[in-house]
Amino acid sequence: MRISDLADLSAANLWKRKLRTFLTVSGVAVGIGALVSMISFGKGMQENVTKNFRELALFNSVTVFPGSSRLEGHDPDVPSSRPGTRALPSDPVLDDEAVRSIAAIKGVEWVYPDINFPALVGFNGKEELRLVQVIPAKALASGMFKLLCGRAFATDEENSALVSPSFLRTLGFKEPREALGRSLKISSLALDIGRFDLSALSELRGLPISREDHEFTVAGVTQDSGFGGPNPFQNDIIIPSGAAAEIKRLPFNSVWDLFRMSERKGGGYSALNVRLVSPAHIGAVKDKARGMGFATFALADQFSEIQRGFIYLDMVLAAVGMIAIFVASLGIVNTMVMSILERFREIGVMKAVGAGDRDIKTIFFFESFSIGLIGGALGCGLGWGVSGLINQVVNFFLAKQGVPYMKYFAFPLWIFMGAVGFSVMVSLVAGIYPARRAAKVDPVIALRHD
Amino acid sequence: MSGIQTKKLTRVYTLGKVQVTALDGVDFSVEEGEFIAVTGASGSGKSTLLNLLGGLDTPTAGVIEVMGRRISTMDKEELARYRRFTVGMIFQAFNLVTARTALENVELPLIFAGVSKKERRVRAAGLLEKVGLSGRRSHRPFELSGGEQQRVAIARALVNGPRVLLADEPTGNLDSRTAGEVVRLLAGLQRDQGLTVVMVSHEQALAREYAGRIISLMDGRVQSDGVTP
Repeated sequence: MRISDLADLSAANLWKRKLRTFLTVSGVAVGIGALVSMISFGKGMQENVTKNFRELALFNSVTVFPGSSRLEGHDPDVPSSRPGTRALPSDPVLDDEAVRSIAAIKGVEWVYPDINFPALVGFNGKEELRLVQVIPAKALASGMFKLLCGRAFATDEENSALVSPSFLRTLGFKEPREALGRSLKISSLALDIGRFDLSALSELRGLPISREDHEFTVAGVTQDSGFGGPNPFQNDIIIPSGAAAEIKRLPFNSVWDLFRMSERKGGGYSALNVRLVSPAHIGAVKDKARGMGFATFALADQFSEIQRGFIYLDMVLAAVGMIAIFVASLGIVNTMVMSILERFREIGVMKAVGAGDRDIKTIFFFESFSIGLIGGALGCGLGWGVSGLINQVVNFFLAKQGVPYMKYFAFPLWIFMGAVGFSVMVSLVAGIYPARRAAKVDPVIALRHD
Repeated sequence: MSGIQTKKLTRVYTLGKVQVTALDGVDFSVEEGEFIAVTGASGSGKSTLLNLLGGLDTPTAGVIEVMGRRISTMDKEELARYRRFTVGMIFQAFNLVTARTALENVELPLIFAGVSKKERRVRAAGLLEKVGLSGRRSHRPFELSGGEQQRVAIARALVNGPRVLLADEPTGNLDSRTAGEVVRLLAGLQRDQGLTVVMVSHEQALAREYAGRIISLMDGRVQSDGVTP
């Protein structure tokens, strides 16, 4: 038999039962559409994270911590209870001297200490307790920090602040631009030995702490990171390092830090953010820093693990899509079996005029193939369309929260080709039983059939 | 030369636990270009014999040779090729595909023979003209009379150029006038093209008028085999 004849026979048979064909093809299209959407979502997430890593220069960033015994690969954001992950009293201090030493390592572009402190932030007639993050002007100008509106710091000494959109929303701002140029008060808590009163302290009536107020002007509004990547702005309020040096403050952010203070000699920073000239220097810089007695952490090292995580995510998403495909394949089996029953006599006639078992099998396989091909192609369109719609709806709502527009679904060509190929494969598998059954039809019985 | 020959042809069906012998050691032969009629009461084994000769069924025992080829030992694919090129069959119920036009029905065997669409159209149209239906080629079976449907079936049976034509009660669903026309057409094909025709019929008069020989079956055995007067 010629392929053109198979196509003609298949088209004629499917067209003869239009509604049933439409329903079966729709089932396949929905299944493939679900699979395409799921996989493209996983792929989109992966692309967004990779893009985010690149934009934030995380491939050429290293974080340096005090304590050489900190285990490699440990997430510094999560306090660990594992023994050997804490800085020991014998470890060197991460102080300004350490900052200078690390900045002098070949391949280091710039270094700034990770400084956060709690403060009462007075803005727009309200006061909120927030952590204030200190970022030098040079780092902000590097391109890894993005602003929604306004400008970054021109110098480290200016009394300017950057605020987050979520902070502005909390304070009732509808338009972030309205906050620009307005005055913001940062009130820190400082140790005041003059107020030290041992008797009051023993009765827990008060601590030797005083409040210091500092005026800042809002220069810009930070941009929230989209879904799928780390945000370099950890806190709602950002101030430059020079201005931050003027603010007296307690050297801890939480009770956790109080416990850790006893382990550190002479204070020092909790971490240093190190930006490299290129990712090629990561290994050498880490080795040098470790040689100085510090621990290091590079997100780039974690990227392969993140990618492995995405493979698991893809598998889970694909498994969900597979369920839809499985249901659709049952629809194909049902349609083809019904087709055998309806065309029982016709199969007998075909055999009587010279069709072999193989011809009959091929005819039924080709019909399954056609359902898979058409359903797969329509499913790709459906998946693409629905994903696009979901993307628009999600962006519409997230835009209200200041999240920049993002493509949450990615559609590389291989997704469409793979989906159609998979649809055809599933359809052919679904067609095995009906095709075999059709081929086994006894022509003598079929020709007597009414 | 012998066109068809059977030796001790036996076909036993198993229906549940019961074994039914449809043909019981049938021996006969048909010369090439001969027109024979097979008659007998209902259940005598006529259709079983024709299905075996047509390669639609396989014997339980015995030998069938058609045009020098032993078909009783052929596998399924060889039998399909035999049905495609060596024999043509027509049936009482016409067995046309209702969704296809007269022309498309005649084309059907050529599809399995791998003939191109263009050539199929030419050959099918030529045969429809030969059976007097050139004006009905676009009609579907339900738009044709019984006689016309049987003529389409004859055209279909002949389209691959077979040397043997097997007709299973071809006049069973037709009125006597149309039945006469159909059998005359078969006799004409046998005479003009040298086709070997085996016609199963319970209509003795038609058989006697057109067939050169009548084989009568009873209970799966040859009761009589004789030349018509």
